[in-house]
Amino acid sequence: MADTAPHTGARSGRKRQSFIAQNPSVLVFLLILALFTLGVTFLSEATGNAYLSTSFVKTLGKTLCLCLIALAMDLVWGYCGILSLGHFAFFGLGGYLIGMWLMYERTKGIVVTSLAQGELPATPQEITDAIGTQIFGVVGGSEIPIIWYFADSLFAQLALVVLVPGLLAFVFGWLAFRSRVSGVYLSILTQAMTLALSLYLFQNDSGLRGNNGLSGLQNIPGLDAVPQASISIWFFWASAVALGVGYVLSAWVVSGKFGSAIKGIRDDEARVRFLGYNVEGYKLFIFTLSALVAAIAGALYYPQAGIVNPAEIAPIASIYLAVWVAIGGRGRLYGAVIGAAGVSLLSSWFTGGGAPDINLGFYVVQWTDWWTVLLGVGFVAVTLFAPKGIGGMLDYVMVKAPRDRHGADFGPDQGSKREQEE
Amino acid sequence: MSSLLEVSGVSVTFDGFRAINNLSFQIGSAEMRAIIGPNGAGKTTFMDIVTGKTRPDEGRVIWGERSTNLLKLSEAKIAQAGIGRKFQRPTVFEDQSVYENLLLALRKDRSAFTVLFYLCSADDDAKVESLAEQIGLTDQLERKSGELSHGQKQWLEIGMLLAQEPQLLLVDEPAAGMTPDERAHTTDILREAAKTRAVIVVEHDMEFVRRLECKVTVLHEGSVLAEGSLDHVTKNQDVIDVYLGR
Repeated sequence: MADTAPHTGARSGRKRQSFIAQNPSVLVFLLILALFTLGVTFLSEATGNAYLSTSFVKTLGKTLCLCLIALAMDLVWGYCGILSLGHFAFFGLGGYLIGMWLMYERTKGIVVTSLAQGELPATPQEITDAIGTQIFGVVGGSEIPIIWYFADSLFAQLALVVLVPGLLAFVFGWLAFRSRVSGVYLSILTQAMTLALSLYLFQNDSGLRGNNGLSGLQNIPGLDAVPQASISIWFFWASAVALGVGYVLSAWVVSGKFGSAIKGIRDDEARVRFLGYNVEGYKLFIFTLSALVAAIAGALYYPQAGIVNPAEIAPIASIYLAVWVAIGGRGRLYGAVIGAAGVSLLSSWFTGGGAPDINLGFYVVQWTDWWTVLLGVGFVAVTLFAPKGIGGMLDYVMVKAPRDRHGADFGPDQGSKREQEE
Repeated sequence: MSSLLEVSGVSVTFDGFRAINNLSFQIGSAEMRAIIGPNGAGKTTFMDIVTGKTRPDEGRVIWGERSTNLLKLSEAKIAQAGIGRKFQRPTVFEDQSVYENLLLALRKDRSAFTVLFYLCSADDDAKVESLAEQIGLTDQLERKSGELSHGQKQWLEIGMLLAQEPQLLLVDEPAAGMTPDERAHTTDILREAAKTRAVIVVEHDMEFVRRLECKVTVLHEGSVLAEGSLDHVTKNQDVIDVYLGR
């Protein structure tokens, strides 16, 4: 015991320290988020300045939602070591469930207006039939499926936004964790779940309009007179608030003893079990919680995107999510936000024709095609040269040099590269 | 004397290899016991069975005053019932501070919701402090446990075991890779612990076992070969043949 430790470091889990003192990054994050929100608001069309187009405000709002689901991914993967490759299923479900209300109410408004021009007042049955034909005509139906039973009630549909994905995550997690499925096998199972859900929704008789998905979601019922510029900024605010609340909630969950337990599960599951903790229960809790956060993010995302269809929950979406979090840096909440915001904005810049093509003389590099290659190379580079992601590089710049955990896995899964013990 | 843990007639087979063969063993409530034996004698498998990691093919494992059948409990429930285990390789949570490691191990309600809303009381804080003192890591409380030396990690793990306040401690090769000073300290910690609870130490090192001054059980090919004081078993011809003579 030659060396003695400095006594300056903050002791986690101590009573006398407030939550903020333990997590200074929360305050910094909220401050940046608030400044960003204010800045976008003043530059948007809604306040009359119009430096930022409405569609760009929507892109930024959607990006905030993607940051929120990245936080959920970091909770479940970065902190608890469960590499879920199916979280976009919950995100998409959240979008579908809010989309049902949006589409139903708006169609109802249109139908009621047009039927009111008739000689006789329309019966409720006529209204329902007309709504059914309007919404489901595209898939050759006119009956309103039973799953749309609550679509007339905003409150019920909002409740379903959390209940349905929450229940799906709970049942899936309960079955998987109870059988002690972990590592790669769990990742494959989650991929199967999201693929199955997406294939089911692609069917015309799934009751959710098959591959057409739900559309026109940017038109909020009852707000027909409000310009999209205002609606876009409202949704931007809502997304910013959700991200802020989500960040504080996540930081609270991963600090303190609960955080200690799930990080323990990530690093050495068996050891936590022998300490007397019910590991399966903890995993199930964090998996379900993150699914709920993902669903809320989806419910805010799709009204800004305007359309939700089964392709959104294809397996590749969830893999991108893991890539964002890996690039941003796992196990640090701001890393997930940096990764999601950076990569998704870059992605829309490259694929949206923002990046100039490169003419090599014999071949023209078109970024719409080559962006995935660039992303792949970037991902490999981060894995090789900065296994802790962008967030890990920030450590070297901003905080005192971090000490590595010697002998520990670089990744949370068994079989990942292992550092040599000194 | 009523026994705390009673293992009787336990056998377990891995792919045709009989790792434990009709093993019977018992230990009282405040007793130190060393288990020795050559490699493959079934020492670690024995611990796996008691802690619920491995299910035996036959036999009974009975625990405590209420004669609980341990074979029906999960690992977590067995740990909660009061059996703590230290692994051969020090397994502490390297990414977390010594303080967090000890706090996590502290005997408390382990259900997810209780832990989520847990706030560290002054009482728990004091408990962690006193544990740290016991294992000589008071100065290291705020360090990440991954930065500790090998010996310190071993102590931290013993400290985490003590924090669980188990009635039975299972300790696998505590002195492996330790300097002589560290060994002496480890012996002290274990002997202190054995005053109030049962301690089972699996160890290869005879010198270390001698210093523990306790009853010794010799395992060989999955069953008990001899039992008694160290001097007694080292005089046993069978023991000399299979283990000491080599």
